[in-house]
Amino acid sequence: MTFGSWLALMVALVLAYEAVRWLRQRALRDGGGRWRRFFRHPTTAWGCGILTFLVIIAIAAPLVAPLDPIVQPDPVGLKNLPPSWTFLMGTDVFSRDVWSRFAYGARISLGIGALGALIAVALGSLVGAVAGYYRRWIDSLLMRIVDIGLALPRIFILLMAVALWDRLPFAWLALVIGLTSWFGTSRLVRAEVLGLRERDFVVAARALGAPSGRVIFGHVLPNAAAPIIVSAALSVGNVLLLEASLSFLGIGVAPPTPSWGNMIADGALSMYGAPWTTLFAGLAISLVVMSLNAVADGLRDALDPREDAA
Amino acid sequence: MMAWLLRRLAASVAIIVAVVTFVFVLIHLAPGKPCAVGEGITDPEICRQLVRQFGLDQPILVQYWRYLVELAHGNLGYSFALHRPVRDAIADTAPFTLQLAGAALVFDFTLGLGLGIYQALRANRLPDIVLGNITLFVYSLPTFWLALLLLLLFGEKLPLFPVGGASDPILCPTVDSLYCLADRIWHLVLPAATLGLVGAAGTARFQRSAMLEVAKQDFVRTARAKGLPERRIVLRHQLRNALLSFITRFGLTFPFLLTGAVLIETIFAWPGMGRLTVDAILQRDYAVVTATALIASTMVVTGSLIADILLVLADPRIRIHDDAVGDIVTA
Amino acid sequence: MPRRYELLSILLAVAALGACERRQLCQAPDCGTLVDAAIGEPRTLLPTSAEETTAQDIDEQLFLKLADVGPSMNTVGDEDFQPLLAEKWEWDGPLTLVFHVDPRARWHDGQKVSAVDVAFTFDAYTDSAVASPFRAQLKRIASVTVRDSLTAVFRFRERYQEMFYDAVYHMRVLPAHLLRSVPRDQWKTAPFGRQPIGDGPYRFVSWQARQAIELRSDTTFFLGRPGIRRLIWRFTPDMGVAITQLIADQVDVREQILPPEAIERVRTAPQVKLYPYRGTVYTYLGFNLRANGDTTKPHPIFGDREVRRALTMAVDRASLVKSTLGDIGKVPPGPMSSLLWIWDPEVRQLPSDTVQAVRILNARGWRDHDGDGVRDRDGQPLAFRIMVPSTSMLRRQYAQLLQERFRLIGVHVEIDVVDGSVMQERTTSGKYDAAMLSRQNNPSPGTGIAQSWTRAGIGGSNVTRYDNPEFDRLVDRAISAMSRDQAKQYWRAAIETINADAPGIFLYALDNVAGIHQRVDNVQIRPDSWAALLRTWRIPPDRQIDRDRVEP
Repeated sequence: MTFGSWLALMVALVLAYEAVRWLRQRALRDGGGRWRRFFRHPTTAWGCGILTFLVIIAIAAPLVAPLDPIVQPDPVGLKNLPPSWTFLMGTDVFSRDVWSRFAYGARISLGIGALGALIAVALGSLVGAVAGYYRRWIDSLLMRIVDIGLALPRIFILLMAVALWDRLPFAWLALVIGLTSWFGTSRLVRAEVLGLRERDFVVAARALGAPSGRVIFGHVLPNAAAPIIVSAALSVGNVLLLEASLSFLGIGVAPPTPSWGNMIADGALSMYGAPWTTLFAGLAISLVVMSLNAVADGLRDALDPREDAA
Repeated sequence: MMAWLLRRLAASVAIIVAVVTFVFVLIHLAPGKPCAVGEGITDPEICRQLVRQFGLDQPILVQYWRYLVELAHGNLGYSFALHRPVRDAIADTAPFTLQLAGAALVFDFTLGLGLGIYQALRANRLPDIVLGNITLFVYSLPTFWLALLLLLLFGEKLPLFPVGGASDPILCPTVDSLYCLADRIWHLVLPAATLGLVGAAGTARFQRSAMLEVAKQDFVRTARAKGLPERRIVLRHQLRNALLSFITRFGLTFPFLLTGAVLIETIFAWPGMGRLTVDAILQRDYAVVTATALIASTMVVTGSLIADILLVLADPRIRIHDDAVGDIVTA
Repeated sequence: MPRRYELLSILLAVAALGACERRQLCQAPDCGTLVDAAIGEPRTLLPTSAEETTAQDIDEQLFLKLADVGPSMNTVGDEDFQPLLAEKWEWDGPLTLVFHVDPRARWHDGQKVSAVDVAFTFDAYTDSAVASPFRAQLKRIASVTVRDSLTAVFRFRERYQEMFYDAVYHMRVLPAHLLRSVPRDQWKTAPFGRQPIGDGPYRFVSWQARQAIELRSDTTFFLGRPGIRRLIWRFTPDMGVAITQLIADQVDVREQILPPEAIERVRTAPQVKLYPYRGTVYTYLGFNLRANGDTTKPHPIFGDREVRRALTMAVDRASLVKSTLGDIGKVPPGPMSSLLWIWDPEVRQLPSDTVQAVRILNARGWRDHDGDGVRDRDGQPLAFRIMVPSTSMLRRQYAQLLQERFRLIGVHVEIDVVDGSVMQERTTSGKYDAAMLSRQNNPSPGTGIAQSWTRAGIGGSNVTRYDNPEFDRLVDRAISAMSRDQAKQYWRAAIETINADAPGIFLYALDNVAGIHQRVDNVQIRPDSWAALLRTWRIPPDRQIDRDRVEP
């Protein structure tokens, strides 16, 4: 670790901590019931903090990472070194700095997670909204498709898709994962829309002759935001886990580009003697998913309409 | 009731057919053919068998029809990599996956329910908070990472359990005695625990929140106001209603188990369908891939059907809407 | 009785029942069960088509050769060979070899082994419909005929040093009466391959798909009763699991332990003893000299000899070996393993010289014209894909090391991890750029090198499609030379030719370390086939453990 990267790391830590603390204080002091409910449990704040920190690390990877993540400086002498002041997380079997790979890997993994979740939630919300709004045969048709999608265990389809098409660049990987992950969201959104449909403001809008598109995008979806947002938070975690599984099996992100998933796979080779590669990458994934779950819990509490009314 | 059941069954069959069609289309969309030189099989005799059996040189609709017809006769195709009919290969491996999934399910629900109920009873007090954070963490673990860690722990430091394989091939090639049953269970512990632990955390979280949801509802408040003892309230009302959500969740756990099984089986060398599928996909053994996708979906659809039936039986008040029953979505 | 004790007594009763149900203990002196952790599962056990080393190890116990190499591993002449199926032999003229089948030999179904089986075996091995990978090694034998029921006559096309070796080493004699009716083109998938009947020291018992293969000793074996009663090959998906099972005392044998760190782990296991022995495998990065997918045209990158030489020079083979293998690997002086007698580090090889490599690439027109860090020429980037089998973590590791080395000189490499069978299909049909390949050597240098590097091997093991008539001529001369010194000279010239042409980068030759349970006595390992002398191993009665005593 160079002085510069230590500095950047400290700045990232402090930044994340302060940002969340400031947000929490503002929320508890000035925010409405929703904000207060969001921060009710301390785990939510911690979750936000961890996520913010890792996102900063990902964005500022060139600053916090002292070394190039794919360069192998000395496969003989620097192989599998334990964590130290020079190598914060040790070196892996190819003598690469694990911390640098961790930081750049955060970009890839979180990036795929965000992109995949975006696609999944967007598609799911659209389908769910259309199904719930139009009902009758459109609804039946779409929900049948969703049933089929839910019936097929995702990993089979993903394995097949990735194996059959041999090589999938980063963006395509996120796309394929996203395309197989929207079914749950659509069900949620549909249930919400079915309820919203009969609400006054929607009925009024339709009575006034607004085109369906406007009603869906302008009135229904914004009010269905609660399940969509919660879904989004959880989807990122799911996509992240899927990417890690695929990379672990060797068909996700290709070497030498680091991703948390293929770092676990690389580390599995020398796990008994040098567990740190596997350990840190797996820990990172767990922490991110955990934070996302905590944040989703908080969101659910915050956006719960019953609490609003009460 | 009968009418609903028949409709549900018909819908399930339709879903399975749709899944098969989808997988079939997906495979034929992929570049390269299984019988072209260098792509999969170069052995001319097997190629000839293939073409004969699946009519590979015919238009895709004909191929599809042939495939469905063969399926109806119970013929799942021939595996090039294993040199046996796919049906045999699956018949060998499916029981192992079911054992693993079953054991994981048992582990999942006993631990999960117990924890969830305990947490709900002690809601917002210290035990609940501590357990809540622990379950949150465990729930977020990637199952294969947990598997690697457990392998490290029990393979190196504490050799308590066997690491790999389903049985001792010398003493117990088949389960034909009580001792061998115990041996099988002993081999099952690590993989099932890995798969079940993450599921248990999820079940605990879900059960806790479900029970707390019910606790807020009016009829419970009424019971409490009437002065009924706490234990009776819990047992009779909260538990019973929360149990309904649990039954729904049971149906939805299957896909999770099958997905997790794929990685767990690979890591623990458990000879189940998951490992068979991964091997087949890497070997471009298309017949096996389509067959396992089919079997897996059938398991999922059946699980969900059973869950729906149980739900209706458990609480006759539940209206029988076509898809409302499955609407309780979990994280 | 209080409820606690009721429960306890029930549990105890169940446990006692369970213990009673255990099988009876074996009392005889040859009781013993040896479990080997095998990597992967073989496809067939039919010797003509058995390609995996596991299958060959098992066939070693089931089927006999006419004779086998002795501990000296000398393949020249016939003095150092041990009789097996043939009790004696003699030369009837310079090109005729006569074998006398041992009259005590029996197939496991009771029939006597006869010379008819020997002739039938030769016919099958050389039949193109069977497509045996061993076919090419038998091309110098003109015919095998039957003189009488116990006498088989081999006729050769020419005189050379290893005539006897070729006659006996490659073929395992097959039962004509059981295989005659199987159509030759279906041999690879024949049921016999999954339920073989042989004449060797062990009989086939069972093959549990995806789990294990079990063999049992033939107590009436005419060359002596095997020392261990049961042999079990237990399939594991990869080396890591196999080694863990060895350490956890769930298996008895792991014939090869990798990577070097694992050897250290195994060393700490008290019940395992380590046996190092010379390795038979070498690994190289093979370049496809023909275009990917079109064998009629040269490869745009690898068709150029200078580029291949440059790529070879860019790699510091010694440091890569040190990094991944430590002490158990060596840099091979050519396409050979440390088993071969032609191993000579003094042979001329390409030096490791990155500067010169860069110079050559520049001279051939491969420069970075568009500034993206990758060299290109006429719009085509100097980029290719390396294919690696998913089962070999060592080769996967190497591929990543090579990827980085090449990146540093402006060559872009991507790695394709594919299944072993897919890799086999693609390399054989020429649909690849480069691949991490391994070859296993027989004791004779001629077989392996001819198969993998001469024109005769194209379409078979010569997947790089290296075709140099000068090289072929030198190899031929080396094989036919009548004296060892003469042969050595020709071999040296041949190796130097192929090193200069660089159809591949010869990366490492592994030495093996086997981990075997310490209770096993009289462990004899022949480097070319560790399981060849399994029947001589013993487990003394006073050292038997649980799994030995189980009566099958």
